[in-house]
Amino acid sequence: MALRLRGLVKRFGETLAVDSLDLDIPAGSMFGVVGPNGAGKTTTLSMATGLLAPDAGEVHVHGVDLWREPARAKPLLGVLPDGLRVFDRLTGAELISYAGLLRGMPRDVIAERRDDLLTALDLHGAERTLVADFSAGMSKKITLACALVHAPRLLVLDEPFEAVDPVSAGVIRRILAEFVEQGGTVVLSSHVMALVERMCDHVAVIGAGRVLATGSLDEVRAGAELEERFFDLLGARGPHTGLAWLRPS
Amino acid sequence: MLAREIWRVILLALGAAWALAMLPAVLGGTHWLAGQEVSVQSSSLVLVGTVLLVGWFVLPVLMFGADETVTPRKFATLGLDPRRLAPALAVAASMSIPALFTGFVCLATVLVWRGYGLATTAVALASALAAFATCVLAARVSTALATRLLSSRRSRELAGVAAVVAVIAVVPVLVGLGSLGLEGTLERIPGVVTVLGYTPFGAAWSAPAAAAQGVWTAAAGQLLLAWGFVGLGLLVWTWQVDRLLVDPPSTVGASRRRADAFLGAGAGPTTTFHATLAVARRCLRYWLGDPRYLSSLASTLLMPLLIALLLSVVGLEAVSGGVLLAPLVASAVGWGRHNDTAFDGTAFWMHVSAGLPGLVDRAGRVVALAAWALPLVVGLAVGGTWLAERWDLLGASLGLAFGLFGTGLGVAMVSSVLLPYPAPRAGESPFSTETGAVGASLVAQLLSTAVTGVLAAPVTVLFWLTVTRNPGLTGATVAAGVLGGGAVLVLGTVLGGRFLDARGAQLLARLH
Repeated sequence: MALRLRGLVKRFGETLAVDSLDLDIPAGSMFGVVGPNGAGKTTTLSMATGLLAPDAGEVHVHGVDLWREPARAKPLLGVLPDGLRVFDRLTGAELISYAGLLRGMPRDVIAERRDDLLTALDLHGAERTLVADFSAGMSKKITLACALVHAPRLLVLDEPFEAVDPVSAGVIRRILAEFVEQGGTVVLSSHVMALVERMCDHVAVIGAGRVLATGSLDEVRAGAELEERFFDLLGARGPHTGLAWLRPS
Repeated sequence: MLAREIWRVILLALGAAWALAMLPAVLGGTHWLAGQEVSVQSSSLVLVGTVLLVGWFVLPVLMFGADETVTPRKFATLGLDPRRLAPALAVAASMSIPALFTGFVCLATVLVWRGYGLATTAVALASALAAFATCVLAARVSTALATRLLSSRRSRELAGVAAVVAVIAVVPVLVGLGSLGLEGTLERIPGVVTVLGYTPFGAAWSAPAAAAQGVWTAAAGQLLLAWGFVGLGLLVWTWQVDRLLVDPPSTVGASRRRADAFLGAGAGPTTTFHATLAVARRCLRYWLGDPRYLSSLASTLLMPLLIALLLSVVGLEAVSGGVLLAPLVASAVGWGRHNDTAFDGTAFWMHVSAGLPGLVDRAGRVVALAAWALPLVVGLAVGGTWLAERWDLLGASLGLAFGLFGTGLGVAMVSSVLLPYPAPRAGESPFSTETGAVGASLVAQLLSTAVTGVLAAPVTVLFWLTVTRNPGLTGATVAAGVLGGGAVLVLGTVLGGRFLDARGAQLLARLH
């Protein structure tokens, strides 16, 4: 198992955001995590990557307990969080270098990979520009580059395709597919069912802080469209919106 | 959210209590002024009015972000006519405690003039209303102006620089006033008042005086002028509302380019030393390029500069301001980083995710600050003792400065892990503060000040003894400052690093 979550709990005041959640993510899989807004996806992924301390539960990254032995587990992990800033007074190139230096990588290796990443993610025009001046999609791409620079075994990406243009999204998909072919594991969350259905071989549907269904893509969708199964699992499908007055006047 | 509101309510209640407590003083003042000569009445009121209007023009900008409740931009989607919206917003803005208090002050001044007959009192009343309206409009106009000017990041950076420059510019002005002396300053008042009487600052306040002296043409002219300024203010404000509604300030500026300064050309393994250097370089980039750091620097420098100046003007016998300049600045700069981690904001996740050792994180920050602050402190110590002509106290001044810098920064390295409070986010106005942070910031500031004070007590006492009793203790002061300050700094860095290793994620959760 690349990532094993056991009994994760997170409470924000009165709200139970994650409710003793268990999840197994097999090594070498492209794993999609789907769920409605407020289901606890970001909270779960933050706890799984060491960015948010769980109230209870355990996280194992390739068998290493993340919260007990962070120094051994964190080098295995590459993280793209959602809604967190980066040090945006640095240029794109500097941010990748900084991420590499923080992880203690040899400097010539950083330099080589930095240039490769800038090329692969088509950021060469932006390498000398401050990240503060980047568009939302470019910020995503540079943060992804920071997550890749130390060649982790497990990539955890929260909404990696949000605000990314179709061409860049295609590039990112190819990079991730190659990474999985080489034996890496990718966990990504998304709102877009079609994208998860096309990219991922395993999925988990999360609702109200729990795993509603998980397994290989075919197991979860059980012959139907993923989107239909999603609505069934959440019990959220209804033909009537209650907005009968909503028509052009 | 509720906690936020509670602090808001407490602030409101404190403000209201203060305003209520001031009312008798205002009435007493007008009563006293009513018994004075016309010239005194006129110049006092013009000066009061000038201070009021300057305050209304400047304070809303400095508290930018505190006054967002009735910003015109929020009405942009409602499709309202700016000519109707602008006066309504101005009236809404005058329903605050400072505005009501100002209104009371303006109306109270009418009492000064009631002894001069009905006509003068009527002029005074019309003037008071004009003065109040001018104040309220000035605040609106300056807030809208600041919104426009501070909208792009480039200009916010310039605003931070301007704040530092303004703080430094205060010094020569005060020196100038000090050299004129109290008498010399007072002599110049009548001339200044006459000029102010034809500006928005004094027109409304001079008109009743002219009426009281029977110069009706001047009174009528100044009254017209005062209401003219109100009309002008309303026109400008309406125009600004119109602009804000149809053309909201864009937040995009020109992009800037530079080469990778972090990696350099070096090869070989990245040691703890290199990682520390990377963190330090990153902090220095923020010191140079982020207005939030510059404006916090400006506000930390303002107090020590003013204290040093005051001390040198008052002329304390044993020790003059010049000798204390370096220690005061050093303590302000060191202690000033007590919320350092919060300035990273959520970007701090990169350190957490990389598993960066806490010690490296802390040490990088210390190196970045020391790199510019230590030369500055040494320069101020030399310059300050030279100005005070007390070369014999250079050692003691340096010793105390190093002691306070090391102690303050050491404490800051721990408190910025354990007691973070919300800082303005990167790219936000450097002058904005989070209202909800009042409680947390108060606790953090008081605790870090108290601990710094206790830990720096030995070197402070030794400094005082050197200055007042025994110059032979200079060596001991330097030793206590360098060794004691150094020890606290090292200890604070190590301890802060340990706490960071243990609770990096918890800290990150509080930086959102």
